[in-house]
This record gives sequence, C-alpha cells and structure tokens, in this order.
Amino acid sequence: MKLALTFASVLALGAYAIPSQAEAAPKCGLNTGQAATGKPIIVGGIHGNAAPGDFSASTDAAKAYFDCVNANGGINGRPIDYRVENDQWNPELAAQAASKLVKDAGAVAMVGNGSFMEMAVNAATYKQEGIMAMASACAISECFESSNIVSTNQGPLPSNLGATQYAQEELGTKNVGCIGLNIPNNGPWSCQVSIDYMKSKGGDGSMALLNPSAPDVNSALLEAISNGADTILMNLPAGLAIAVLKAAEEQGLRDEYKWIAPTPLYDLSVPKALGDYWDGHVYVNAELAPFQVGGPDAKNWIEVMDAYAKPEDPRDTFAQSGYLSATYFTKAMLEMDPADLDDRAKVTAKIKSIAGYKSDLMCGPYYVGDADFHMPNHAGYMLKIENGGFTIVRECYEFESAYFDKHIALEKELGLR
Amino acid sequence: MVGSKFFNWCLYLGLMAAIILLLTWGKPHKIVGLFFVSGLAVGSLYALGGIGMVVLYRATGVLNFANGAMGAAGVMTAWQLGEWGVWPPLTWLSAIAVALVLSVGYGRFIAPALAWREPVVKAVATLGFALIILGLVSYLWIDDPRKFSLPTDKIGVRILGLRVTVTRLIVLAMSVGIVVLIHQYLTRTSIGLHMRALANNRDVSALIGIPILRTETIAWGISGVIAGFTGLMFGDLIRLEPTVITFMVIPSIAAAICGRLESLGLVLIGGLSMGVIESLLTLSPYLKSVRPIAPFIIAALVLLYFQRGRRLSFGGAD
Repeated sequence: MKLALTFASVLALGAYAIPSQAEAAPKCGLNTGQAATGKPIIVGGIHGNAAPGDFSASTDAAKAYFDCVNANGGINGRPIDYRVENDQWNPELAAQAASKLVKDAGAVAMVGNGSFMEMAVNAATYKQEGIMAMASACAISECFESSNIVSTNQGPLPSNLGATQYAQEELGTKNVGCIGLNIPNNGPWSCQVSIDYMKSKGGDGSMALLNPSAPDVNSALLEAISNGADTILMNLPAGLAIAVLKAAEEQGLRDEYKWIAPTPLYDLSVPKALGDYWDGHVYVNAELAPFQVGGPDAKNWIEVMDAYAKPEDPRDTFAQSGYLSATYFTKAMLEMDPADLDDRAKVTAKIKSIAGYKSDLMCGPYYVGDADFHMPNHAGYMLKIENGGFTIVRECYEFESAYFDKHIALEKELGLR
Repeated sequence: MVGSKFFNWCLYLGLMAAIILLLTWGKPHKIVGLFFVSGLAVGSLYALGGIGMVVLYRATGVLNFANGAMGAAGVMTAWQLGEWGVWPPLTWLSAIAVALVLSVGYGRFIAPALAWREPVVKAVATLGFALIILGLVSYLWIDDPRKFSLPTDKIGVRILGLRVTVTRLIVLAMSVGIVVLIHQYLTRTSIGLHMRALANNRDVSALIGIPILRTETIAWGISGVIAGFTGLMFGDLIRLEPTVITFMVIPSIAAAICGRLESLGLVLIGGLSMGVIESLLTLSPYLKSVRPIAPFIIAALVLLYFQRGRRLSFGGAD
C-alpha cells in the first residue's frame, strides 16, 4: 500500500540520513565526484504506467543512474537531460510521447523504455527518425524484431523457452501447456517457440490464450490440462499467474503437473502471495542475475538506487534492466568524440556499433549491431520458489532454439563467439 | 401473462441446455464437469452483480456502473486489514462496510442532485464515480502480486468426482438466497412496496407521500452490501485486481439486461447461464476466441426477443 510505503520511506530516510556518509558511494560514468555543468544532452524515455500495470521501474532506474552520472562529471562535463513520458497504455499517447521527445525535444537517443504499447506504435518512428531506443522492459515482438530498438531485458519469448528447456531437461516434461495473453505480438508469439522446442525434443505442446480482460483464468488452466499438458507454463504477468496457481490449488492439481514460469513471477512478493502450498513446486526463469548473486554491477545498482532513486521506486528486474541500459548508453557516449554528442546520426551509429559490453547482471555480452532484429540477452538463470524466497537451481545457461540462429550468426560476425 | 412468462423461461432454459449439450458433446465427463463448475462460479458472480444493479435500478432508476469499483475498494480494504493482522471476520465485514459506505454516500449526497435527469445521465455519473474509486484504489494499492483467500477455500466437497470448494457453494447459494430474500422483501414489507411504487412511477410516488430519499437510501444500501459481498467473492475466486473487479460490472450489466432490468429470477438464470456457456466455449476450438463476448451476445438475443414492439429497457419508460 502506497501509504504504508510512504510512511516506511520517511522512516527509512530518517534512519539512513546520518550513516549514509559511511555507505559505499556508487560508481557512475567518469566518477569524478564533480557535477556536470555543460550543455545538456537530451535523452528520452517512455514507460507505461496506468491500471492495470506499472512499467515505470525501468525509467526510474535509468534516471537514477543518469543523475549519478551528472553528479560525477556527466558525459565529459555535459549532463544528461533525461526526459520521461508516460504512455498510460494508450497508443495515441505513446505516439505523442515519441513525437514530443524525438521530434520536438530532439533527443539523441531513447533509454530505459518500458511498455506493452509504445514499441509497437513507435518502432517505425524510431526507424524513420534514425534514433535508437535502448529499451529495458519489453514484452512484445516489435521490441525484438525492429531495426531501431534493442532491449536489455529478454521479454517473454526467451524466458519462456528457458523455463521450458529446464523443465524438459530436469523435470521430465513431455508436453507443455503455455497459458498466455491473447495478444498476437505477445502470447502466441512467445508461446510458439517453447512449443516448437518441445516438438524438436520429441515432446508436444499447446497454448491456451487468455483474453486480458476476461475475468476467468480458470478456463485457461483447464484448457491447458484438457490439451494433455503435463507441465503448465504461465506466460502471464504475476497477478494473472498467481490467479492461475490459486485455481490449481483449489482443484488440488499441484502434484499432478509441473509448474514453470518466465521472469514476471520473479518478484520477491510472489512466494508470500502464493503461500506454503506452492513452496518447492514452482520454477521461475530469471532473465537477469537474481538478487542474491551480488556481483559488482548488482551492488552498484543497489547503491545507485539508494542514493539517487526514490525509496519507493521498485528494486526489481525491470529496474536492473533500466540501470543496465543507462550504463551501456553512458559507456558508449563516453567513447564518442565529445563534438559528436548532439549529432543523432552519429549517436545512433555508435549505439549500433556496441559489441561485447559485459555486466555481472547479464549472462552474456551485450551488443546491438546493424540488423532488423535485436535480442542480445538470451541466456538466464533458473530459480525455484523455496522457503519463502527463490533459490537458484541452474546458473547461467543459454537457451536453445532455431529462433536464435540469426542472433548467433550476428554474434559471430561481431566476434562475440 | 403468467403462461407467457413460463413459456419464455422454458424457452430460454431449453435453448441454454441445447447450447451446453452442443458444446460438450463427445467431451470427457470430467473435463466438462471442471468447466461447468468453473463457469457456474463466474456466472454466480455475474448474477450477483446484476442483482445488485437491478434492485437499485428498480427503486431509483439509476443503472449503477460503480458497483464493481465499490466491491474492488471493499476487497482491497479486506486484504490490507488481513495483511495488518486484523481478525479475518472483521476484514470480511470491512469489505462489505466499505462498499456500503461508498454506495450510500453516493446515493445520499450525489444521486439526489441528478434525480430528475435522464437515466443515461444518471448512469454516466456512476461511471465517473467508478473511475474516481478505481483511481483512488490504484493509487493506494500499487500494482503488486497479491492473493486473497477465505478459509472456505480449503474445504472442498466431491460432486460427481469434482472438487468444489465451499466458497463456490456459498456464492451459488447466496446468489439464489439473495434473489429469494429480496423478492420477499419487496413483496412483504412497506419499504419494498415503496420501492415498487418508485419503480412504477416516481412522480406519482412523490405526490402520494412516499419517503423517496429514505427509500432510495435503503436501496443504495442493499446494492452496496451486495456489491461488497460480490467484490469479496470475486477477489477470492477470480483474482485480486481492482481493475478487473471494477469492470466485472460489464458482464453483470449483460446479466441484468437478461432480466430486462426487472426480473431478479431471470437475472440469476441469465448470469449463471452466461458464466457456464462462456466457460464451456473454451472446449470448442472454433468458438473459444469469442468467449469474452458470449454474455453480450446472449443479452442482445434476449433483448431482441423481449423487445418485439415493447418498451426500451435502458430508458425505463417510453
């Protein structure tokens, strides 16, 4: 509850006000400790935040990192003027937001975008305007199959596949039933690759598609079961996946099936919401490093958030992803000739040339490349909901699918393999 | 007249039975049973929502689009109190109390100002109220995974080999019980008589001295209690998401239209059959994609059937 969060935030601020000097300072950009005072570099970001979902964590984290960069020398003395718009899940607003940032404000790049909507609406605009969107919270096909959008998060397709692959290899899955949203560029697109994977391994699969506005998730679960599934893949936002698991609990179906899910279920509040019944029975794929891994970047992300984000801003996968996009963008800008930083074409060319940036938050290297598709993140972790939290059951592993053939070819071309 | 009503009921039930038979033909008994039970629970909620709307509409002429939002505010309050460790029965009562306060508050302070406006204006005003409640609820409870459970979820009975929780049985029993209770209330009490008088002719009722404000406030109260109970059950049986609960009012309207905004019995049958058919459509590979519009197709067909040369249901009296 927001009231409770706000109250807790005030308490937390009070508690940390004095000892914060002793905490480790985050490392950002040039890390000079001097505020940047030059001419601002305009960068845009669009998120979706309205009922029923809030994707603003990615832009919140990107903003926190850019604020940190600006307090530490900026981009060779120039601060980043990060302007964020909310599409409110409205296509018209999404188009207006892009127009405002790209055409009117003259942003040189978009960073940290997170939405179900804006990528589908604005992919053509970004291409036409020659601007790159380094997105962070993508969930639809346009985000991964466009020339001018690249995301640090995986989206549902690889994460589903990772969960299915683990279930086939470790849990003995023969037939997966993928419950997804009946949105063509989300549910069918992301379920099909997991079904194809099962068929390639001699198994089978099917999809049960759920209308986002339909109240009855039970029917989708029953459809998956009636299709002969032995494993239920919940390719859904966390709230809907919890509703599916609750329906299964009511029917006492836990031990008759295996239960797997992509990243959206990797939320620290999920184990508590599910309760003891599901403890030890749900497997979740994580597209970025789980919080307990705690590498240098993972620690720096938390330090940046603590120092520059609002206390109530989420510390979740989308926030990790927003932080990562912002760090990669900053690194690329620092590698550029300072005279070219206002030249969008040169900034775009630089972003497209990114290859081999590494972070402990991601299993593989980050790259962009000049292609009509971008999915640099296609490896992850597998977790199990256990003891009221998440335990890692498989460390970084690469997902297998013919879908990634072109990505692997590009990685070879860029010298990453 | 009675014979004609009986014929209409039988025709509707016969058609629904034929559709159900068609959809389930050749399908395994257990699978059909699972879908049927699931649909019955959703249908009970549609019916409960519709009943609350019809009770209010009959007494006040207001088609209340804010029913779902009031239920959502109630169940979110119950969940929050549960998180704070409040004794569970108190949290359940709080859900009903919140919906009751919202409903009576609107009925007492806002609705009278619109009393002489057209039914559409009154309905749209409640839609605005629904959006205000939804906005407040979404502000107070940010998007986060949550689950709301009742102890009756843990208790199940086997019916024809299927596990049916007591919560589902309660919803079904309550939807039938509420129809019976309200019918008795409307036919056997003076307030019920006042409500029926208001439904028939508001102007004449005012002239003969019926206490309009008091009668309407009671109607808003009954509607609020039903909305609170429906929200509580919806949060438990379907999902705890304020937006989804708020817009549950849409299929509830379809159920209400099935009863032509008059007959509580038809609302109940309409709601139940809509839920069951919507669920069973999943069994058809060709028709499963039209599931969400099933309640509205049924409502439209019922409306067309009853509309033959008769008055409009939405406008009330013309």
